[in-house]
Amino acid sequence: MPVLKNIAAIAKGMSITFREMLAPTVVENYPDGPGPLKGAKVQERYRGVHVLQRDENGLEKCVACFLCAAACPSNCIYIEAAENTAEHRVSGAERYAKVYNIDYNRCIFCGYCVEACPTDAITHGHGFEVAAFSASNLVYRKEQMLAPMPAHMGANAVFNQEEVEAGAPAMVAPGE
Amino acid sequence: MADVNITVDGKKVTAPAGTLLIEACKSVGIEVPSFCYYPNLSLQGACRMCLVKIEKMPKLQTACTTVITEGMSVTTDSPEIHQARKGMVELLLGNHPLDCPVCDAGGECELQDMTFAYGAAESKYMEAKEHRDEQQWSPVVYFDRPRCILCYRCVRVCGEGMDVWALGVQNRGVSSIIAPNKEDHLECEECGMCIDICPVGALTSGAYRYKTRPWEMKHVGTTCTHCADGCKTTLGVRRSDTGMEIVRGDNRDKSGINGDFLCIKGRYAFDFANHEDRLTQPLIRKDGRLTAASWEEAFQLIGTEFGRICEREGGRAIGVVGSTRTTNEENYLLQKFARVVLGTNNIDHHRTADFPAFAAALSGKPEMTASMRDVYNAPAILLIGNDPTEQHPLLAWQIRNNVRLHRARLYVVNSQSIKLRRQAATFLQIPTGTEAAFAAFLAGDDSALNVTSRDQWLALRERLRSEQNLVVIFGSELRGENIGSLLKFASSIPGAKVVCLADYANSRGAADMGLYPDLLPGYYRIADKSKFHDEWHGIPQTPGLTIPEMIESGASGRLKALYVVGANPIGRLGIDPFAFSQAFVVLQDMFLTETAVMADVVLPAANAYEKSGTFTNTCGDLQILKKAGEVATTKSDFEMIVRIADAMGFDVRKLVPFGRGTPADMGQSRGAQSGEADRHGVWLEAHGLEPKMNPFDPMAILDETQRLVPGYDVSRMNLLAGNDQHTTLSKSGPGALHNPELIVPANNNLFSSGTLGRYSRTLNSVIENSNQQPAEVAAD
Repeated sequence: MPVLKNIAAIAKGMSITFREMLAPTVVENYPDGPGPLKGAKVQERYRGVHVLQRDENGLEKCVACFLCAAACPSNCIYIEAAENTAEHRVSGAERYAKVYNIDYNRCIFCGYCVEACPTDAITHGHGFEVAAFSASNLVYRKEQMLAPMPAHMGANAVFNQEEVEAGAPAMVAPGE
Repeated sequence: MADVNITVDGKKVTAPAGTLLIEACKSVGIEVPSFCYYPNLSLQGACRMCLVKIEKMPKLQTACTTVITEGMSVTTDSPEIHQARKGMVELLLGNHPLDCPVCDAGGECELQDMTFAYGAAESKYMEAKEHRDEQQWSPVVYFDRPRCILCYRCVRVCGEGMDVWALGVQNRGVSSIIAPNKEDHLECEECGMCIDICPVGALTSGAYRYKTRPWEMKHVGTTCTHCADGCKTTLGVRRSDTGMEIVRGDNRDKSGINGDFLCIKGRYAFDFANHEDRLTQPLIRKDGRLTAASWEEAFQLIGTEFGRICEREGGRAIGVVGSTRTTNEENYLLQKFARVVLGTNNIDHHRTADFPAFAAALSGKPEMTASMRDVYNAPAILLIGNDPTEQHPLLAWQIRNNVRLHRARLYVVNSQSIKLRRQAATFLQIPTGTEAAFAAFLAGDDSALNVTSRDQWLALRERLRSEQNLVVIFGSELRGENIGSLLKFASSIPGAKVVCLADYANSRGAADMGLYPDLLPGYYRIADKSKFHDEWHGIPQTPGLTIPEMIESGASGRLKALYVVGANPIGRLGIDPFAFSQAFVVLQDMFLTETAVMADVVLPAANAYEKSGTFTNTCGDLQILKKAGEVATTKSDFEMIVRIADAMGFDVRKLVPFGRGTPADMGQSRGAQSGEADRHGVWLEAHGLEPKMNPFDPMAILDETQRLVPGYDVSRMNLLAGNDQHTTLSKSGPGALHNPELIVPANNNLFSSGTLGRYSRTLNSVIENSNQQPAEVAAD
């Protein structure tokens, strides 16, 4: 009975269709999804825009050793080092990065910088929306990549309290 | 000495008896690692890294303290030796902090290299490392105690090499630490040799620390722009917003005439280049005020003014002052500009030594000038006047180490008890101002002998007369005909050589290149017919004005314009600033100096670290300058001179021989008349050189100086490779005897360097620091 055979085949096919209709969706709803990631899902080990980490005291981990810049195959990391002083302490060691730029025009997200970092200061975040209308906006400064202050440090701490009292706009921890 | 044959790792090695095993190995390319061993310093045997196996000796031996003996058979690498060295590295790392990422030495650290080679990075120690805070010993020297591996190199180089003895060892055994001999700070010459020689990052430089890393910089070996000794300094540069910034100066490859040595100025005093007061725009005086202008506007104004004065009053109404810190090429170009473009011999510079008299005294004699290397190798040295420790640090180093390592006999004759007397076999203190009388006495004139120390004078002359290959060094105390009498004495000694000491980096070059109103390059007199007359198609025949005469002429209103290149006559020579108030003054300089304040046009110049060219040091050693730093808005003096000539409507090809076309045009295009030989073209052809295509290329002028200035025809290949090339004065022109009053010594000391020193933050910080130290109180 060829008719029955055909009906059985259609039923078999449609059963898959109906099963999948009721199953949870596989397609990601980016960029219309909820949350800060707008529906995007990122694997934990995804190599996105770099994050410069802080230590438990809120000091920058980066000691400006230049090893990331040396390891970088696309030569996109630019650093200027400076010395910490008692009054102006930025990192935990003697030296800190006064300027730390990554040029995302050039970065190939290979992760060599993260491998090279002796203090685990530079890590890959999950940011992937790097597109910009101007190439110069793709040179990220340190402030754009720094991790926020740890929660117990008070992410909303105002750093220029003295100036704020005199009427200046408040500067809070960058990075959030 | 007899040669000794040994076998190292199966290789046959022959070396003179007395050679250390480590050096013998090095001579055949076998490197034995060491921390404490350093060539030409005393032996320490502290680090035990150079352990080698010598046949028939029961234990491993230190190669740095073992003298080779006949038939010795040595193994420099085996599992046993490797294990021993690995053990040493592990012990050294026992308390060495692993802060390589922040340590300044990271990337050029010998301990890092050894750890890589022998691999003892994992420590077996459980104990916490003992941390000590970093100490600042002086404005430029910092000490990080835990990093120190106690090789004692710094102690030895400071004491033996520099004769300063500012560093010592406190405590003994495991509690030994390196410490200053003066409480908590260094009382020293701040030369930074201890930092340079430190194999790890224990001693770091205050000027460079934590700024960058060695591999981030480009390293450019050039010649120092401070004193007249011409040390090679390697500048580490990195890009900055305005060009290339100099971050560090050091003695990286030790390939210059200075060997291991570099003083504070060569090492740290490059920072004037980055000073915030540096001029970056041409300034033109408008309504009595210097206001910023464009380069075109400035050149046009200068060209018009100079052209107008030349037309109306002739070149005699323009005075030109050259520099002792611009390159030979620029100096040559400047005097050619004055003589050919302006048509005047009114050209002079700040004279700090009487080179024309020196040339006059040497003329007709065989080659008698000593190079800086000769000073290190001479069996005997006579030093009259000057204080090399302060004014010629490299010369002092050469003398000291010649005495220490080669047992040279040093005779010092000085009116002050200078520091080099400590190395002297004979030190004769003479009354101030009697150096000339002493020179005459040496030459055989006993009329100067009516002094109290008569016997000493006679004894010294006897001893000197018995010397051979003596190197005679004299300061600016001897001038004019006194140099002649000294040379008369020197030429009576077989193999004697002479050094005349000047004060600035290219004082000798300025003199050799003819920045004199009566002398052409190579000390030819204006009045005599010389090759320059033919080459340049006419030079004004009457000698021009010296600087004092220019002042007089300016004050009386006869001098209508003054063109100053890289000099500060108002500040340095104490000239009345109103002398030139009537004249049109053009200045090329880096800073708003006393001269700039009264100038009508100020052009921001590049310094010697920012251009290429050559310098001649006080001994006559010609060395190359390589462009290291760059400040984008400045121009080199060379370019400015050419641009001014161009703005005056002069055919620049007659000034700088460039772009002559192809050799096929038979030299017709360079202005040579039909049938006349193009000497420059012929010379270039003969030396296999190409005509230069760029009017701002100093090499075009180097071609001309090598061709025309006697003594400068040195090996071009060696010169460009960065080797010092000694220029001789024996074939130069007859020189001249000038008024000795024209010589004004700069009297710079270790921490001052004319205008450059005033704008060097490091030098100023050292001076301030030494002023803050409480004065020494005599113990009673």
